[in-house]
Amino acid sequence: MSSTDENRPPKSAYKLFKWFCDSRYFEELQGDLEEHFYRNRESLGHKKASSIYWKSVLGMIRPSVISQIKIKYPLNNSAMFRNYSLVALRSIARNKLFSFINIIGLAISMVVGLLAIAFITELYSYDAFHEKKDRIHRVIITQHEGDQEPAFYASVSPLLGRQLETDYTSFEKVVTIYRNLNGDVKKGDNTVSLNGFYATEDFFDVFTFPMIHGSPSSALSDPFSLVLTETSALKVFGKIDVVGEVISWNNQNQLKVTGVVKDPPRTSHMNFQAIASFGFLEKLNARNTGLMSWQNMWNSHVYILLPESGSTTNLQADLDKIAAQENPKLYNSSFEPELQSLTSIFPGRKLNNQLGARMELKNINYIVILAIIVLASAAFNYTNLSIARTLKRAKEVGVRKVVGAQRRQVFLQFIIEAVIVSLMALVIAYFLFQLVRPEFLSLNRDIQRTSTLELSAIHYLYFLLFSVGVGILSGFFPSVILSRLKPSAIVKGVSRLKSASGLSLRKLLVGIQFTLSIGFVLLVGLAGKQYDFALNYDLGFETENILNIYLQNNDVDLLSNSLAQLPEVETISKSSWVPSVGGIWTNRGKYIEGNDSTTVNLMNVNGAYISNLGHELLAGDIFTDGLDRTQIVVNEQLVKRFRMGEPIDALGKRVRLQGRNRTIVGVVRDFQHATLDNEVAPFAFLSEPNGYRLLNLKISSDDMAETMLKIEAAWSELDPVHEFQAFFYQDRIERAYASLSTSTKTLGLLAIIAIVISILGLLGMAVYTTESRIKELTIRKVLGATTSHLLRLLSRNFVIMFVVTSAVAVPLSLYAFKELIIPGMVHTINIGFWDLSRGLLIIFGLTAVIIGSQALKAARNNPVKNLRSE
Amino acid sequence: MKGTYLGEFQELVLLTILVLAENAYGVTIQDELGSRTGRNISRGALHTALTRLDEKGFITSEYGGATAERGGRRKRFYKVTNQGTKALEESKTLRDQLWSEVPKVALGKS
Repeated sequence: MSSTDENRPPKSAYKLFKWFCDSRYFEELQGDLEEHFYRNRESLGHKKASSIYWKSVLGMIRPSVISQIKIKYPLNNSAMFRNYSLVALRSIARNKLFSFINIIGLAISMVVGLLAIAFITELYSYDAFHEKKDRIHRVIITQHEGDQEPAFYASVSPLLGRQLETDYTSFEKVVTIYRNLNGDVKKGDNTVSLNGFYATEDFFDVFTFPMIHGSPSSALSDPFSLVLTETSALKVFGKIDVVGEVISWNNQNQLKVTGVVKDPPRTSHMNFQAIASFGFLEKLNARNTGLMSWQNMWNSHVYILLPESGSTTNLQADLDKIAAQENPKLYNSSFEPELQSLTSIFPGRKLNNQLGARMELKNINYIVILAIIVLASAAFNYTNLSIARTLKRAKEVGVRKVVGAQRRQVFLQFIIEAVIVSLMALVIAYFLFQLVRPEFLSLNRDIQRTSTLELSAIHYLYFLLFSVGVGILSGFFPSVILSRLKPSAIVKGVSRLKSASGLSLRKLLVGIQFTLSIGFVLLVGLAGKQYDFALNYDLGFETENILNIYLQNNDVDLLSNSLAQLPEVETISKSSWVPSVGGIWTNRGKYIEGNDSTTVNLMNVNGAYISNLGHELLAGDIFTDGLDRTQIVVNEQLVKRFRMGEPIDALGKRVRLQGRNRTIVGVVRDFQHATLDNEVAPFAFLSEPNGYRLLNLKISSDDMAETMLKIEAAWSELDPVHEFQAFFYQDRIERAYASLSTSTKTLGLLAIIAIVISILGLLGMAVYTTESRIKELTIRKVLGATTSHLLRLLSRNFVIMFVVTSAVAVPLSLYAFKELIIPGMVHTINIGFWDLSRGLLIIFGLTAVIIGSQALKAARNNPVKNLRSE
Repeated sequence: MKGTYLGEFQELVLLTILVLAENAYGVTIQDELGSRTGRNISRGALHTALTRLDEKGFITSEYGGATAERGGRRKRFYKVTNQGTKALEESKTLRDQLWSEVPKVALGKS
């Protein structure tokens, strides 16, 4: 007879029967029922047999079968709980050291948990204020180009929005947003520069940005209308009731203010100071047919509102239809549209061309994983120490059981004890959280921009639940072990329990803790070293004391002439962008004499730039400004790539770049033109006189603050409207590697926490071991063992554990470093013997001190004292 | 007679147990009764009858013989006590007496 589940009598009927049947009769009756069932099954089939079984069970509901109602749970529950709490508090008070270790360890790690909870709930509150948030979707696209890796974009051509609107009906409303609305708004003498985007009519019907003045549904219908936020209205007019006012836009157009909305909340993924009509954008681009082309997908976003209880299936089909119709117009490339719901935009997957704030889901996962690791580590301490102390509580369990406690009740008692410890830790953790909060916020610019970590009622509830959860988890194993003890075994003698289970579990837990501590320490060292390495990397040019100033459409010569008059400014040069800090600009370059082509990195500069930034010329000369815009200066890589021979041979050769044949007039030594994730590639400095966006000032000054004020004053004189924007080159390089610095800081914090926790745990274990072996040690001493002998005896286990965990932790942390912290970096540090052994030594030193001090204390004890009292 | 009244169904159960001799337990009793009377007897009803008989001291029982088809559960075998046999005999005597005194006419022609 097979006994798999599907051959069995119906489970629910069985359970029902078991529940109501008197236990005295259950065996007989259930046996009979089952025997019948199997026989029926043979002759009538499973279904029929099951139904007969059900009928029989129901037929059993009669007084002779039903068990007498017994009181399963005593009514003095509250008294019981009070007793449990009392005993727990007493035990916490009696073992001050262990309680201290448990509570402090848990509290420290809970801080990480609290931070994670506050941070993540905050991130998930993004865009929650939109009333129709569940029905709003955004179109994102995947670009396939040749055999390149697919690229993912949050943007799509405005054509898609237009076509949906005119030809399709599978949705309720569609909104197209076009980024890069920025301009100077002039009202009377007051000029204010505003940023935002263009949007189609239904914007305010789809998104919930409450309008204080004006009509939401018609605010954007006229091309020459403008909607301001409260703050912008105050800036421009000094009041907010400004609907109907007309302003001058960039000194070219007259726009009418048609609405004033509340400032977008901080938790909005899109942010704006003003919104203009999409119609206005079309008027501005009246002669530019490219605006509505399928490949113009860099600046526009399409959001779609689905009807109530509508599904995305039809809509997706329509999107596919549009793509199928438009893709053939592209050369060697295709866009594949897809829908992304509003609520999964932030935090969400990694996409290019985001509209506003971004936060990758991946980061959140990291945070959760790290929080869990640290918490688990602290929970291990509790588990470990409690299991170790099982013997001390065994008598209590024995008495409770003899008096009539069931296993379940003993289990509950110890769980409650753990929860009480965890709640105490929560109180401390809460204060620590308040201390750490500003530190956490300053970790990283992304975090600062997206969150405040302010707490609300729901957070306190989460904290409480979290703490109870931690308590239950950490108390689970000890409770199982303690509640399993048999009274008879306890009565026979506690010493026989000594080999109780949990020893190997304990070793495993301590091992994991140590692996974590070692791992974190190693990672901090490595990440820090890589960060230093990146900052001090020899880029191949000078960045010291170079101040880059954004031109912001000001006349380049005017500004540079006025700044050149400052005595602190040594030299000035002009450039189109800043290399080595993350950006790139490339174009296809064709070597005319050699009939070869490759991708070339480009940058527009004037001749002074090359000497100003200290590039080393290997051959030829820098170009003379204004003489010939087709002159270029290239790097060694380009010469090598096109096989031009020696640098000197490259002079005079021509390369077609940006639609023009250009002549090489100089060759500079290779330099790191992109961040360290990239190899040095072919590079060319162009001498196009238009297209400068920055001035590069080499400054020599004793009082930098003073000099900055002077430069700023010179700026304001020329351009009173736009804010002075400048940065030192070295600062920008630091920012380019901010993620490394964040990793270092985060890992540093975690390393400290992990070490504190595992050291606390170790201290507890060391105290416990020496205490429980004190008799053995004394006897050994009496028989002639020396102090060093005893020391060796006590620390041998820890040394073995240390060696084993190091063997696990070192390769693991090397792997984590390569895969998680510096993935894709081309230029990395060499990891030497000392980088690894330093971390190991720190941990080993701390361990040795703690174990040693405990062992020494035990070994130096006067034997008489310990032997006298039995 | 008082207090040891034997109901019709209980009497049948007692007799069945005797018939089955060594093999009288829940399933066999139920089947035997079912096939002889042609009635569908529920195991619940049988249980009630058995407990009543047990309370009156007419039967005893003991556990034995677990089989796989019972999910490893033991069978409970029933035996009729002397008291039970006596009660059956009394009941039979009473009926026989009554039968013997019934006039032939009243039975009609068979």
